[in-house]
Parts: sequence; C-alpha cells; structure tokens
Amino acid sequence: MIFLKFLLYVWMVLVLLGAFFYAPLAKGLGEYTRVMYFHVPMAWITTLTFLIGAIYSILYLRKKDIRYDYYSETANQLGLLFALLATITGSIWAKMSWGAFWNWDPRETSIFILLLIYAAYFALRSAIEQQDRKAALSAVYDILAFVTVPFFIFIVPRIYSSLHPDPLINTQGKVTMNGKMQLVFFNSLLAFTMVYFWMLKNKLEVIKLKMKLKQLES
Amino acid sequence: MSPIYVILIINIIVWTGIFFYLLRTDNEIKKLRKRIERLSSKNIKTGNNQ
Repeated sequence: MIFLKFLLYVWMVLVLLGAFFYAPLAKGLGEYTRVMYFHVPMAWITTLTFLIGAIYSILYLRKKDIRYDYYSETANQLGLLFALLATITGSIWAKMSWGAFWNWDPRETSIFILLLIYAAYFALRSAIEQQDRKAALSAVYDILAFVTVPFFIFIVPRIYSSLHPDPLINTQGKVTMNGKMQLVFFNSLLAFTMVYFWMLKNKLEVIKLKMKLKQLES
Repeated sequence: MSPIYVILIINIIVWTGIFFYLLRTDNEIKKLRKRIERLSSKNIKTGNNQ
C-alpha cells in the first residue's frame, strides 16, 4: 500500500512537470494555460464530493445510521474546501486572461452561490443541538443543495454567454484539446482524484475510530 | 532563474508537504486503531472476569 502511495507522489510530480514542460500552450491563453491542470480537477472533485455527500445523506435517511450523517458532513467539508480552491485558481486565471480577479461571469456567480449554499449547510448543522434532528434536517438540506449543483455547474453557464473557455467536451460532444495537453490533463484529473480519495478515506477512518471509542467509553 | 522554475519548485514543495502530511495521518490512524483494539480487548477480558 505504501508503495502505491509513493507511486502517487511520483505520478503527481510527473503531472506537474508535464503541465510546465510537456504540454503545449493554448492559443490566446499563453502561459496561463497551465492553471487549467489545477483548476479543472478542483472543480471536478467539488462536484464528485458533493455527490458523495448527497449519497451518504440519502443513506442516512434510509437507514437512520448516524455514521452516514458524519460521512456526509465530511464529504461536504472537503467539497467546500475544493470549491474554494476552484474559486481561487479560477480567479487567478481570470485576472491573467480577463484582467480582473472577479467579473460576475455566469460561472463565477454560480460557484459563489454554490459556496453560499454549502456554507449554509454548516450553519444549519451548528444551529441544531439535538443529534437526530440535526442529522435528519441536514440530510434533507444536503439532498436539496445537491440538486442545485448540476444546475449551477452545467446548466447556468451554458444558458448565458460567458467569458469562460468552452468546457472540455464542447456542445458538439467533441474534445478539441491537443493530444499532449489531453494526456497531462487526464493524468492530472486522475491523480488529484486519487489524492481526494486518500483524504476522504483518512477522514472517514477517524470518524469510525471516534465512534468506536465512544462505544467503549459508554 | 526563470519564474516558471520557481513556480514549479513551489508546486512540488506544496505537494511534498501534503503528501507527507497524509502519510503521517495514515500512521497516526494506524496507531490509534491499534490502541483502540487493545482497549476493547482489555474491556472484553475484564467483562469476562466479572
């Protein structure tokens, strides 16, 4: 297992080297193209982790097992972290290519609303003391919050005209990226996803141990 | 040194930091799991003696 982890380390270093020295620069974006290899994986992991959080919320409502509530909270914590990273990397990119960190572009507005929705999830959790009530209400809220994710990430930016570059798979369903760029991009996407799953696994493991310890103490 | 190298080095340093932090967390979890297992087996033993 430790070998696989060191393999992940080398893989990520290769992705970094690839992003800086192997992949060609995109027309019109110049040196700023490299931000793409970090910004898009952050946005992808945000969607993935909010989905995982919503699945755990559904599991909690079905099985009424408090473990799933903690799992869902953990996934959403990571979701908020990656959403923030996507916003920060996005605004750096925006500053370089559009001239300002924030332009209230449909994509920027969407992620801002998404951040507010998930920040409210944690406000809701901290406002309720009774554990069962907190778990049930936040599970319902989380499912409703996740319904807005595809709307804000995939639908809104396609309805309104945006400064944001076309998504990887364009409206004709084709990938128009250069082969070398694709290689680095997909490797970056996979490597970041692996790092995310490692973080999630560790956090879930800590929850399991905490619950076991509680059981032993009682 | 070209700024691109500086950015690359900073990126590698940040990734190395995250990687070793995660490895350390792994080890701490392993230690904690062993301690909890020992504690639970101890509890079972004392429960059996009573």
